[in-house]
Amino acid sequence: MSGLSRRGLLRGAVYGAGAAVSASALSGCGSIAGSVASADEIQYWTLFTGPDGELMKTMTRNVERRVPDLKVRTTVLDWGPPYYTKLAMASAGGRSPDVAIMHLTRLAGYAPGGLLDPWDTDLLAEFGLKQDDLNKTLVKRSLYEGTPYAIPLDTHPFVVFFDRDVMDKAGLLTGDGQLVPFESPKHTMELMDKLRKDTRKLGPVFGHANDAAMGWRMFWTLFSQTGATFDLTGERAEIDEDTAVEVVRFMTDLARDSRTMDVQTAIAAFANGRSPMIFSGEWDMATYKTALGDRLGGAPIPTFYDRPAGASDSHALVLPHQDNPDPEHRRRTHQFVAELVKSGLTWASAGHIPAYTPAVSSAGYAKLRPQSEYAGAAKQLVLDPPVWFAGSGSDFQTRMCQALDPALGGSSSPASAVRTMVSQINTLMAQPNPA
Amino acid sequence: MASLSTPARRAAAGSRRAGSRWSAAMDRRRSPGGAGWLFATPFLVFFTLFLLVPIGIGLWMSFTDASLTGHGDGVFVGLDNYTEAFGDSQVWQTLGNTVWFTVLTTVPLVIVALVMALLVYTGMPGQWLWRLAFFASHLLPVAVVYQIWSMLFQPDRGMLNSVLQTFGMDGIAWLTDEKYAMWSIGLVTLWWTVGFNFLLYLAALQAIPDHLYEAAALDGAGAWRRLWSVTLPQLRRTTALIAVLQVMASLKVFDQIYLLTKGGPNGATRPILEYIYDTGFTNYRLGYASAVSYVFFGIIIILSLAQLKIFSRRED
Repeated sequence: MSGLSRRGLLRGAVYGAGAAVSASALSGCGSIAGSVASADEIQYWTLFTGPDGELMKTMTRNVERRVPDLKVRTTVLDWGPPYYTKLAMASAGGRSPDVAIMHLTRLAGYAPGGLLDPWDTDLLAEFGLKQDDLNKTLVKRSLYEGTPYAIPLDTHPFVVFFDRDVMDKAGLLTGDGQLVPFESPKHTMELMDKLRKDTRKLGPVFGHANDAAMGWRMFWTLFSQTGATFDLTGERAEIDEDTAVEVVRFMTDLARDSRTMDVQTAIAAFANGRSPMIFSGEWDMATYKTALGDRLGGAPIPTFYDRPAGASDSHALVLPHQDNPDPEHRRRTHQFVAELVKSGLTWASAGHIPAYTPAVSSAGYAKLRPQSEYAGAAKQLVLDPPVWFAGSGSDFQTRMCQALDPALGGSSSPASAVRTMVSQINTLMAQPNPA
Repeated sequence: MASLSTPARRAAAGSRRAGSRWSAAMDRRRSPGGAGWLFATPFLVFFTLFLLVPIGIGLWMSFTDASLTGHGDGVFVGLDNYTEAFGDSQVWQTLGNTVWFTVLTTVPLVIVALVMALLVYTGMPGQWLWRLAFFASHLLPVAVVYQIWSMLFQPDRGMLNSVLQTFGMDGIAWLTDEKYAMWSIGLVTLWWTVGFNFLLYLAALQAIPDHLYEAAALDGAGAWRRLWSVTLPQLRRTTALIAVLQVMASLKVFDQIYLLTKGGPNGATRPILEYIYDTGFTNYRLGYASAVSYVFFGIIIILSLAQLKIFSRRED
């Protein structure tokens, strides 16, 4: 809302003039120390703030310490749809950062349009990062026409957290502290009723209201568990609508106690003990850990239908397109990324599951709780359909969530939610890919 | 500057004085002299660079399939974007939301502002305090407004629902129920922006000459009679101004909705500007987004002309 004030403008003009004067002075004496260093620095765009941001800063600093002469300049941009707007514009202009974080699900909208440059896997292997050491599902998704355009750093699934003590008392934990199996939606609802009755607390909570991703994550998780058709490759969407209605109905049952809860409210309800169970992204793990301590348990989303599946995405590293990249600079960028991905164990402490499999199978990771308890989610991950308009932070996810929300809130029927979803998808499919 | 006051010019100006005052004013405007232009230059440069040029480029883009990612720039597609816009249900739905918001906010923003101004002007003690209190919220940036109201609206632990519950009523899903979301946004907007209209009304009230009231009182008019027959007619111009400004401001709604509901639930509060933003900046379709914004621009122009016509007729 703040307009350009006159004083701000004057100040800007003075600074501008000052910069021009000092730049010419520097070039006069022939040593532009600042700009030589900045040409050498690796420009790195991330979207990590909060604990993730701190951790990424530490990892970057550690890499700089390990590798002589490697300097990284990190630019942290706010996460959300505008992040991808900025990245696309920078890439289109050809004066992009050297390396950037991108959600793997967004690759389909970026790689075909020439917005990204491919990775040299031999070079990465030279710096100790072999493709075989990365999560297979993620690596497969990082290819476009057989060429790798992304190097996955992690996967961050939608999981379930619970209060061990309460769940144990309600008989919902097995002897070794795992969730009992949920055999079907019907069986699940019986168990949840028992949970409500025994503990006199809310059933599971799920924050979704006015969120641009959570409703879709839950839907995509459950729908993928059914194995039904969801095909967006043709002219129009081919979606098994009966199954979709069934899934939305089950979602509304699961969210019975959190009909109008937004993400923050649901987090609060779980953290302050009003509910012993929450469907949530693992990225909120730190909040729960602070509130519940060792009572906090985690697990991949249980298999309610025929096959295990959990919606997820992956923070991946990409090379935004540059018109004339310096080969030596690119080489150093590869080195930086190889070192960063290999620091997976440090990254895991915030909750994300490293894509670097040696980190996941290490003894250090097994000690991380509840991270190691839900690490199985990396084996059942499903990403958004590989179409240009889908992925994290996309208009597609917003539209899906807005279609689902009234059904979850009880003001419209599952059937009407699915009808809206299908029609929205067909609208998007009819549009040309702008990239 | 000296050239402005040569005897010849003065003579010329004098001879023109016989003509209408209007044409003299036009002549003065036509020859502002070099210095005038010099003073206007900084503004003109920015005006051209940041308004005229973008408007022109936008118009051109609306006939192309320009993309934010730089692909397809300059590929002329004729009226395709406009055809698509007129057939796009999202355009009409979001336009409907914008119009609904405008109706929902303009009426109370005029009436409440007037009532507040009348109360303050006609006798509440501590006028300065009320003036400050009513205007203060207008000074808040939208981000702060969002923070305050998202806390008040919290369905489970927000203040509004706790108040309702103490009166034995059920809580309302203020921002997440399609039935209430737009009303909630309207409430926020009323609270946030009513201060400006209030100030305009207060200034207008203070400008009404006292002798009108004196004359009315001498003729035996009571307080209500004076309000109806002196105050309100004297405020007619201000009301017209406020209504025009308010309709413009409400049609431009974006920020508070984007922050509070992101256009949800199920698009119930999504204004057309958000649709334009999403199309252009999230889906990268700049060409199509430009076309939709030009359609909207056209509608605003028509509305403003209609409003001007209505109010100018009333003036007569």
